[in-house]
Amino acid sequence: MSPKRKISLSEEELILALRNREKIAIEALYDMYSASLFGVISRIITDEAIAEDTLQETFVKIWHSFSGYSSEKGRLFTWMVNIARNLAIDKVRSKDFKNQSKNHELENNVTFIDEQKNTVYKPELLGIRDLVSTLKPEQRSILDLVYFKGYTHVEAAEELGVPLGTIKTRLRMGILQLRKHFNE
Amino acid sequence: MENVKAYIESGILELYVLGDISAEEKLQVEDMATQYPEIRAEITEIERSMEFYAEEHAIEPPADLRQRVLGSLLVNLGDDRIFTKAVTHQDDDHVRSLPPARVNSFYKYAFAACLTLLLISVYGLINLYSKLQDSNTQLTALQTDKIRIANQVNLMDRQLNMYRDTTYKVLRLKGMPKTPTAAMILAWNSVSKKVMVDVQSMNLPKHDNKHQYQLWALVGGKPVDMGVFDKPAADTAGVKEMKAIASAQGFAVTLEPMGGSINPTMDQMVVIGQF
Repeated sequence: MSPKRKISLSEEELILALRNREKIAIEALYDMYSASLFGVISRIITDEAIAEDTLQETFVKIWHSFSGYSSEKGRLFTWMVNIARNLAIDKVRSKDFKNQSKNHELENNVTFIDEQKNTVYKPELLGIRDLVSTLKPEQRSILDLVYFKGYTHVEAAEELGVPLGTIKTRLRMGILQLRKHFNE
Repeated sequence: MENVKAYIESGILELYVLGDISAEEKLQVEDMATQYPEIRAEITEIERSMEFYAEEHAIEPPADLRQRVLGSLLVNLGDDRIFTKAVTHQDDDHVRSLPPARVNSFYKYAFAACLTLLLISVYGLINLYSKLQDSNTQLTALQTDKIRIANQVNLMDRQLNMYRDTTYKVLRLKGMPKTPTAAMILAWNSVSKKVMVDVQSMNLPKHDNKHQYQLWALVGGKPVDMGVFDKPAADTAGVKEMKAIASAQGFAVTLEPMGGSINPTMDQMVVIGQF
């Protein structure tokens, strides 16, 4: 745990502070979202150093292109996670990255990460076990492929060898399951 | 409503939140979300779920990364500020400041010139106006002078005529024993019957302001009133016309109470003369 007191603002306060380019916004942004974003990035990039670099780039990009965010179009995190995911996928697909061929196969990363990383500090960690049991395996695998790995649902359909309609249904059912779980 | 429900159940909103959607479809979803609050609410629910899901899968980055990230952002923030300022200054110094300066100075000088011209004009006008006033005053003075001189000339003419005109009979009235120095010249025109008194040559004793001199004509031994007059001031010029009379053997002047008397006060006679 970081010894420093973490800064936390409401989403509205944070957005306002980011708009006004306030220093506190940078710290709050990091403290509130770095772990979630790093979780997503780490599931795409297994190399820890590159994942850390990508997280840094993600925050730089969020900071610089913040004027492009509009709260009317969605929640702040959705916008940020898309930036993180796109940066991470670009990294993985870039030549440099591919040349370091010691990487694990992409498809296996999700389970690999979850097996390797015991660095999740959240006390809600236990929840993941619940979550795993909440989601059916086929729901979870497709959710992770799309959400954490940036697969399109078409790619996921090919990957998993199931029809597109089934992919969509599983996605929706999985997310509905999540909603039920988190609203409990 | 059915459509909205079907739209929600189609699964497109999930793909929208996951970013797995074409730009076209994205716009369509956003359009629908603005139109139907229940679609907007559904999207928010999905977003929150995915946010929780990400939180559940969160991995705390190494502690030293925090400083690194904040440092790079703060450097950027500082750079932004410093750079923005520096650029502004450079712009001012090298690119922008010259042309506006020219324009500014042109208007400044033009304005100054206008102001100067205006001041000179106003000064000129005031000068001209005061000169005009002077001229007008002088003109008026000259006119008054002219009228005065013309009047004087007229008077002199009449005075001269008194002596020149042969139809006038000039009579010198002489002082009485009481007033030996008194004297007066009078002219009587037997044709026009006018009687003129030469005011300038008049030499009569002073009188108080309750009395006036009265001229009498002697017609057949009887005095006839010819009008009253005051002893003129020393420098008064000209002649004074008295009442007309057809014939007279002589004239006399007596000092009478103000306004004159019907009959002369004989012991107050100052001058007398006979043809």
